[in-house]
Formats: sequence, structure tokens, C-alpha cells
Amino acid sequence: MGVKFASKDKAIKAKSKSGQKGEKSFGWKLLIPVLAFFGFFNIVPTLWMLGLSFNDYKLISSNAPHYVGLSNYQSFLADQQVAHAVNRTFVFLAFAIIFQTTLGILIGVLFWRNDKLRGRRLALTLLFTPMVVTPVASALFWKLILDPNFGVGNYFLQIFGIAKIDVLTSQSLAFPTLLVVDTWMWTPFMALMTLAALGSVPKAELEAASIDRLPLFTVIKTVVWPHAKFILMLGILLRSIDAFKTMDLSLIMTDGGPGDKTELIALSLYRYAFKSFNLGYSSAISVFLLFIAISLTSIYLYVLNLKSRKEA
Amino acid sequence: MADDFMKPRRKSGPIKLSTVGAWLVSLIFFLPIAWIIGSALKPKQYVLNFPPKWIFVPTLSNITEAISYGNTAKYFLDSVIYSFTAVALAILISFLAAYSFSRFKPAGTDFLMFLLLSSRFVPAAALVIPFFQLYNLVHLQDSFLGLILFYTMFSIPFSVWILKGFIDGVSTKFDETGFVYGASRLHVMFKLILPQLRPGLVAAFVFNIIFVWNEFLFNFQLGGIHSYGIPVGLFTSITKDGHLDWSFVASIGTIYVLPLAITIFAFQKYLLVGLTFGTVRGEV
Repeated sequence: MGVKFASKDKAIKAKSKSGQKGEKSFGWKLLIPVLAFFGFFNIVPTLWMLGLSFNDYKLISSNAPHYVGLSNYQSFLADQQVAHAVNRTFVFLAFAIIFQTTLGILIGVLFWRNDKLRGRRLALTLLFTPMVVTPVASALFWKLILDPNFGVGNYFLQIFGIAKIDVLTSQSLAFPTLLVVDTWMWTPFMALMTLAALGSVPKAELEAASIDRLPLFTVIKTVVWPHAKFILMLGILLRSIDAFKTMDLSLIMTDGGPGDKTELIALSLYRYAFKSFNLGYSSAISVFLLFIAISLTSIYLYVLNLKSRKEA
Repeated sequence: MADDFMKPRRKSGPIKLSTVGAWLVSLIFFLPIAWIIGSALKPKQYVLNFPPKWIFVPTLSNITEAISYGNTAKYFLDSVIYSFTAVALAILISFLAAYSFSRFKPAGTDFLMFLLLSSRFVPAAALVIPFFQLYNLVHLQDSFLGLILFYTMFSIPFSVWILKGFIDGVSTKFDETGFVYGASRLHVMFKLILPQLRPGLVAAFVFNIIFVWNEFLFNFQLGGIHSYGIPVGLFTSITKDGHLDWSFVASIGTIYVLPLAITIFAFQKYLLVGLTFGTVRGEV
């Protein structure tokens, strides 16, 4: 929008009967429905949660909730089980991101180079379906496949001479299995982001590089990466946010077990709230998760701004 | 996308290795889902066979049985009702907000956009507790109204983000021309701007519906026997009649997954903008 438009805009606004002030208030009026929803369904629950976190409130005890200051936060910080769950979640996140990004980039490049693939749309549909299936369904599907008695997964293991095994109750294999299923679900997403990232590289620059016969590594470093890095980063961030939220998958596949081997923080939180009904304490954990979500969103928007500045 | 620089020069000739590779990768990723569909089509007596029975006469009886069993049909119907009502409402009011954010840029626009997005990034388990209590307080638990209102909020952040992005892409000249001809603001918004947002509207509609269909925890905790949707139906399918009936689970899974796969096929070009909450646009 140049100066010319701005002045034109002013002239038009002056012409309109309501004038500039009316216009501005109209802008606010348009926001009312969304703000009302946001207030009732987000601000209120969040403040409620904040309030609960300062109270001792257990649904199963007959005591009325009462103010206990920071005591929930103190027990949260001292809670070894929660600390383990948080650590485990970060380990899960790190491995998930590494596997999914690596595989996703490889698959993305494969499809990028095959943009005239016969039946490309169908192939991509098959590839992308796992990521839009709700984790509840994926978890059930894999439970059927991995069943120790009749699962087809064990059938394939037997072909390779490995005895039947129940991976979901195995001390050493349950967590890696969860990672494999998560990787199955989300590698397609990183492939999608890779395709988008590669698509954001200007064709003219690629053609120029091709005419100059630049070596592949130079092309990637000087032409592809400067454009592609933003969308790739956004993909990784979105995956981190989502991996941090992982709950349904471990709830259904392993229920956190065996022992606490697959207990991720979101699942612990769910358990504290709906199994032991300790609402005060679980609210303190919620506040912690909220804080992480807000931090990750800030980083996400920071990268998004870098991207749009680069494009402008 | 059409760049030739890293490609082999020749296009004709024998089938390229990378073509086979790409198809192979797709098939591998789809294999678990294909196995479930296969299990649903398998006559009941074969489903627990080990080694698995590969050759069988497919039957639809598991699927028809699953549809008529218990609440299955109702779960699906409920999910359709929630998703369409909530998403339509969310898109309408999100359009108003997105237009305001894009054209009036009221103070705090960036902050509000940030808050909206972050509200979608909070783990569901964190917010479900206060919702659970508030809903008990105002008697909205296990009600259609309660779930529709919740899913409307659930769909707003993505709708606002995607629609604002698309409105930003429509030149303000359209608004100005409209005013010159004496059109009202509302006329400009709904008659001049809205029709140009078609791809954004389609993406917002399709993907919000998928997100609502897929939402599990809130439906499970805020809903009840009268208002459960598909994911809860899937979740409770493992305890049908107190024992595990894999034909039934696979059948419900198939009824759930097939429309989804078809949707992905039909709306593939919106997948990117859909799964990035409207923040990234581009070709795939």
C-alpha cells in the first residue's frame, strides 16, 4: 500500500457518513462474537485453572477447596514421577522430530523430483492419510497389528526367525514402539512440509543454477536452503508442539505402561485429573504446560515473521 | 514445482527407479490402514487366525453389523451434527473478525492473533479440567449445545488465521471501489470480499470438520452417553459387550477412515494450509 492508496483511503473515509471514528468502532464491533467466544471458552477456563492451581481441591475428598498458596507448585517441582514424565516427553519429542524430519525430507524430495509421477494424487493420498487419522484410531489399528497372539506384525517377525513378542508390554520395546507409530503418523506431515518448502524456492533461481551447472551441494546451500528453511522450521515447530501434546496414543496403546515406560506428561496430567481427581495439583501441571505452549507459539510466530519479511 | 534441474534428462524409457520408490513409500505408509480395511472385510472366523489368512472371500457383513450395533450410527451422526454446525458458526464469526483484523487493524491485533493460535497449541488435557468443572456448573455437560459451543471455539483460531491471510491477499481497492459506488461496509464484506476467499473458506471448512471429527478428549470428558462422537465410539469399541471383537473394531475403523481418505484425495491442495492452521500456503 503506497502513499497514494493511503490518501485515497482517507478521502473515502471522510466521505462516508460515519467518519473515521464510526469506522473504528465498526472494526471493534466485528470482533465482538469472536472475543465473546474467546472470553467464555478460553480466558475464563484459563483463569479458573490458574485459580485452582493455588487451591487444595480433590474431588474425592469431602473438604471444600481451600487456598494453599504455592504448595501445588512446590509439590510439582519435587515430584519425581512428573519430572520423569517431562524428561520422557522431551526424549520422545527429540527422537520423534529427528526421525520424522529425516524421513520426511527424504520422502519429500522423492516426490518433488517425481512431480509427473503417474497417479501422484492417489499416491500422495495414501501417504498423507495416516496423519489425518485421529490418534485414537491409529492406536487401535496398531494394537490389532501388534497383538502378541495373532497380530500380523508378529507374523513378519516370525518370518525373520524372531519369536512372538508382545512389544507393547515389553520393558525395553514399548517406548520405541510408540515412537515408531508416532513416526508412521507424522513422517507424512514432514514430507508435506518439505514439499511446500521446496515449492517456495523460486523456479527462476533453480533454472539459473541448473544453467550454471552448479554442483548439487552448492545449489542446496545457496539456492534451496535460504528459501526452504523457513517452512521446514515451521514444520519442525508444529511437530514439537504436537509431540508435546501426545496423549491419546499412549493412553490407548500402552496406558503409560509397562510401569511408567511410556508415561508422557499429558497422560500423567490426565491421570491426576480424572483418575485421582486431584484438581488443584493437576491444574498446577496444566499451568506449566500452558507456559510451554505459549513459549512454543512465540517461537513459531517469530519464524513466521522472519519468513514473511524475507518474502516482502 | 516443474523444475528439471535435478532430474534425469530423459523422461521416456523404462520406468524410473524413483517412480517405483515413490509409490512404494506411499504403499508402505498406507499398509497398516489397508490391513485394517482388510480385517473388516474378512469373515469373522478368520480375523484371529495366525498365521494370518491372506486369501478369503471379502464380506460386508462385519461392516453392516457394526453400523447397526448399539450406538455406532448415532456416534457418526452426532459427529456430523457437531462438526457442521460448529464449523459453520465458527467460520461466519471468524470472517467478521478476520475482516476487522485485516482492514481495521485494531490495536492489539497481533497479540489477539497470537493468543488465538496459542489457545490451539495447549495440550487438551490441560484445559479439559476447568472446562469439566465449568460445564458441570452451568449444566452443559453431555449436551449438544455444550459440545457445539466448545467446538465452535475449537474451530475459531484456525478459521481466523486462514481467513485473515486470504483477506490480506485481496487488494483494498475492492473495498474502495465499493465505497465509491456507495456500497455499505457489510455489502463490501459479504458481496465483494467474501466470494474471493473461496479457497480459504473451503480449507477452513474441510479441515476444521476433520479436526472436530478427530477430537477425542473433550468429547469424552464433556460429553456423555447422549453426545459421544466418533473417536469415543472408536475408543469404547474395544470393550464392546465386555470382550474384544476385532472384526467390530476394524469395521468401525474402516467406516471412519474411508471418508477421511476420500476427503484427502478430493481436497489435497488444501492439505498444507489446513495442517499449518492457515499459516503456510503453497503448492505441494
